[in-house]
Amino acid sequence: MQEVRSGNVGRLELLFDRHHRPLFRYFLHLTGSRALSEDLVQEVFFRILKYRHTYQADTTFRAWMYQIGRNACMDQMGKRKGEVAMPENLGEFSSAEMLPDRQVQNKQETVLLHKALAAMPAEKREVLVMSRFMDLKYDEIASILKCEVGTVKVRVYRAMRELGDRFFALGGERAS
Amino acid sequence: MICDRIREQIPECLAGRLDAAAREKVIDHVDGCSKCRAEMAELGVVWRGFESMSEPEPSPEVRVRFLETLHAYQEGYQEAQRKQVYSVPVKSWWASLWPSRPIWQATFAATLLLVGGLGGKYLVGGRAAQPNPEMAQLQSQIENLRQLVTLSMLREQSPSARLRGVTYSYQVTQNDPQVEQELLRTVNHDSNVNVRLSAVDAITKFAQNPEVRQALIDSIPVQDSPLVQVAIIDLVAQSNDKKLAPALRKLIEQKETNEAVKQRAESALKKLEATR
Repeated sequence: MQEVRSGNVGRLELLFDRHHRPLFRYFLHLTGSRALSEDLVQEVFFRILKYRHTYQADTTFRAWMYQIGRNACMDQMGKRKGEVAMPENLGEFSSAEMLPDRQVQNKQETVLLHKALAAMPAEKREVLVMSRFMDLKYDEIASILKCEVGTVKVRVYRAMRELGDRFFALGGERAS
Repeated sequence: MICDRIREQIPECLAGRLDAAAREKVIDHVDGCSKCRAEMAELGVVWRGFESMSEPEPSPEVRVRFLETLHAYQEGYQEAQRKQVYSVPVKSWWASLWPSRPIWQATFAATLLLVGGLGGKYLVGGRAAQPNPEMAQLQSQIENLRQLVTLSMLREQSPSARLRGVTYSYQVTQNDPQVEQELLRTVNHDSNVNVRLSAVDAITKFAQNPEVRQALIDSIPVQDSPLVQVAIIDLVAQSNDKKLAPALRKLIEQKETNEAVKQRAESALKKLEATR
């Protein structure tokens, strides 16, 4: 990113190849829309290009990229208040590499899990997605959310707890 | 309290991000605490539930679109850099002319100012010496315009507009007989004292004309305002016109003449007799 910042913008292609897939999944989890997520990926890399001089070397590129992504997503979701929160096609998140009977059960669980995740408040869903799907470290999440690492730890646990409650309630194992 | 701290570490433990010591501490606690064990089991189900999900891929068009944007940006960026490079020598060429020391900068600036001032004076002086028919025509047009404005304003209904007309008459040259007659008419017939007083002041520049002075002398006895009478006496007395003396004597003899006007007339008469 340092090279991109100093004017060698062609190097951004390498960063795009490395990061655009997890970024796309992050948006897909948050928005539930494939088309919107792809647009957001474009938007994030365009903003990186435009604001490359604001990149500080003391932040990891990943944390900086997700900060930009978070802002871009909030801008978009602000424009589309009340729109999609659930993935358009839940099958997208189901793995096909399983035995048929186990596959059916897993697909049901995945649907429930996604329903539970989609029903969660945005800020809790976001911290879970960052921690579980983006594989971001707590200090990186803290940098993105501009809070303490201890706060992130508590937020992730509480989000997990709430997701568990919703998941088991949807499965009929617990009263909602 | 201990349970709270342990539970907060369960997600990290499930993700395998805890170091060996911290992980062992969590496991030891969970072994001995049924509630935390149950919590670990539930969250473990949720955590592993995510594992069964595949990782959706964005369409290949995303990369194509990004590369198009990047290449377009690169072209624009390189073009901007090229323009910047061309602009640098021009800037440095001008900069090299300007002296670096402040004392020389001030001297250079003063010299430029002097050269400009002398050049301007020479050009303006040179042009003034040569008769320019276009300039004369333009000046004549401006003079006509001023006369027209003055005359029309002096005939306005409103006293304030007539006052502005009197003020505007100062811009008209002395030789304009129409303005002269209109100011005399204002002195003699305007209904407003302030306008008449202003008109007396404005007509001063026409007072070298004997006809104007005679008209003003004739105006003194018909004026109903002592202020205007005094102003006319002062104006005509400045020219030492002998024709004023009989008019002043008549004014002094009249019983109905204002005392202040009489005093001013006596003073002017003495002054006139002294100059004989």
